[in-house]
Amino acid sequence: MKILIVEDEPSLREVIQRALEQEGYVVETAADYARAEAKIAGYDYDCILLDIMLPDGNGLHLLETLRREGKRDHVIIVSARDSLEDKVSGLEQGADDYLAKPFHTAELKARIRSVLRRGRNGGDRELVQGNVTLDTESRRVEVAGREIPLLKKEFDILLYFMQRPDHLVDKAVLAEAVWGDHADQADNFQFVYAQIKNLRRKLSEAGADIEIRAVYGFGYKLSCAEPRPKP
Amino acid sequence: MKLIYRIALRLSLTLLPLLALWATLFYVIITAEINDEADDVLEDYSELIIIRMLTGQELPPPNDGSNNSYTVVPVTEAYAERTPHIAYLDAEVFIPEKEETEPARILKTIFRDRHGRFYELTVATPTFEKEDLMKTILIAVVALYLVLLLTVIGVTMWVFRRSLDPLYALLRWLDGYLPGHAVAPVPDDTSIAEFRKLNAAAQQAVTRSEELFERQKQFIGNASHELQTPLAILRNRIEWLLDRTPLSEEQTGELVKMQRTLNHAVRLNRTLLLLTKIDNGQFPESSDIDLARLLAEQTQQLEEIYRSRGLRLSLRIPERFTVRMNETLASTLVGNLLRNAFVHTAAGGRIEISLSDGVLTVRNEGTAPLQSDHIFDRFYRNSGNPDSVGLGLALVRAVCRYYALDIDYRFERSAHCFSVRWK
Repeated sequence: MKILIVEDEPSLREVIQRALEQEGYVVETAADYARAEAKIAGYDYDCILLDIMLPDGNGLHLLETLRREGKRDHVIIVSARDSLEDKVSGLEQGADDYLAKPFHTAELKARIRSVLRRGRNGGDRELVQGNVTLDTESRRVEVAGREIPLLKKEFDILLYFMQRPDHLVDKAVLAEAVWGDHADQADNFQFVYAQIKNLRRKLSEAGADIEIRAVYGFGYKLSCAEPRPKP
Repeated sequence: MKLIYRIALRLSLTLLPLLALWATLFYVIITAEINDEADDVLEDYSELIIIRMLTGQELPPPNDGSNNSYTVVPVTEAYAERTPHIAYLDAEVFIPEKEETEPARILKTIFRDRHGRFYELTVATPTFEKEDLMKTILIAVVALYLVLLLTVIGVTMWVFRRSLDPLYALLRWLDGYLPGHAVAPVPDDTSIAEFRKLNAAAQQAVTRSEELFERQKQFIGNASHELQTPLAILRNRIEWLLDRTPLSEEQTGELVKMQRTLNHAVRLNRTLLLLTKIDNGQFPESSDIDLARLLAEQTQQLEEIYRSRGLRLSLRIPERFTVRMNETLASTLVGNLLRNAFVHTAAGGRIEISLSDGVLTVRNEGTAPLQSDHIFDRFYRNSGNPDSVGLGLALVRAVCRYYALDIDYRFERSAHCFSVRWK
């Protein structure tokens, strides 16, 4: 799996590269429009992370060029501009996803996995960790082939963890992701804990071999008994 | 007070003493002139009588139909010596024919006949009634004052309106001017140099303020955009440490705290971008939003988050209340209003949310009124909550302004009360 990172900020380029290489991807980088254009012309990539605000050009033009030439590389736009118009025009021009800065590493990885999976089998509905399967569309969760009933919040929490296996999720970040903006400003995270407790109980009662573990009281991590399959 | 009324008032007040002065002068001059004429007549008459007496001719009859009358009385030498020989005076005389007294002009002359006897001749001619004259002049002057005043004011008004039309055009234009909104250029169809100058100055000021406004908006927007990349780098580096390195509890704690502070900065930045976008009017697409449903959902969400506080909640909303708004903005408006109430109510406090007749009211118990002038300002914070960004109510106001909704804050029955009215 080959990934091209088009990003003008060296430090960000470096952290993304490091994170993705760590996931086992082959990563190449381009610091500006010209270099990105050259790389895209010369090679095929499974996924291109495209910053659309480049010092010497608009990343959207690269996307246009790519599509004009009939290349099927997956493109995830990474932009500092979190505007709907940018998102819409990016997706209309054939981007597979749109990620606004500042993103979480785990979020980026999840998006890449999702885009690549979509490319492979035409769908990204199912997430699998251990013997747990989560269907994002029908919102069903199965443990070893048997469905377990989850409440809405429980499902949302599990989905969040399934997309970020082995990643320490801060309680505050989880609260904001599941309960919405500003939930991380609550006085305490009792409400998060209550939901996690129920979710854990349901998972373990169903015999799941994944587990949501508390990490020093700051957050949680989804761990799997089996080694996680390579992306 | 409008300029035109001030001018009218000043004209009236200035004309009043001027006309009074003029009336007095007129009276004095007329009186003097009439007396002069009467004196001439009296002089001729007395001369005639004296000549006749001295030459021994027959004296004219006391009344020859001219209303002039005369008397000749012999006087002593002593009297003649202490009395001026010619004296004019005004007096009331009795006219026997009319049987009434009338004002008259009198000439007294003392003369001596050839026998050395002194006589005093008094001739009188009826003259005008001074009071009548004064009254007449007063009436005339008042009438003149009114007519003159009306004319002057009328003419002034007309000239004023005609000449100051460009000024009023400019004022009307200024009334319609809203900073940050596209406006027609300052009207400038006048040939008057002063107004052209004024218009040019207004145009210049507006252009400059527009530029500043635009630049300020751009600056906030750009600064926020530029911050996104460094924030992303920091966030990813911290996550890398958390995920890839074996850490002690203390180290993890420090990193998580850094991450939370960073999230705070991210939210701040995002909110500023949102404000900039609202100010730029970048939310064109509207849809039908069921406000009642939105309220119910968000309230439920917040209730769950703040359950540990034991707040007492009352929600009185209709089945449905649909407004035409942008979805993001509607949820920003409702969310921030509700969150504000939840965050700033002490444990066990009461929150009342109601929606009726197009008015959304959120009341939450509090101890003292807030500074209503500032609560909607950016970064105004009344609470000691370090996690509060101080932009929530600024967002609420920005959304309200965007849709021209009325937002109101008041403190009543020891509760903060925010209400938004859909027109």
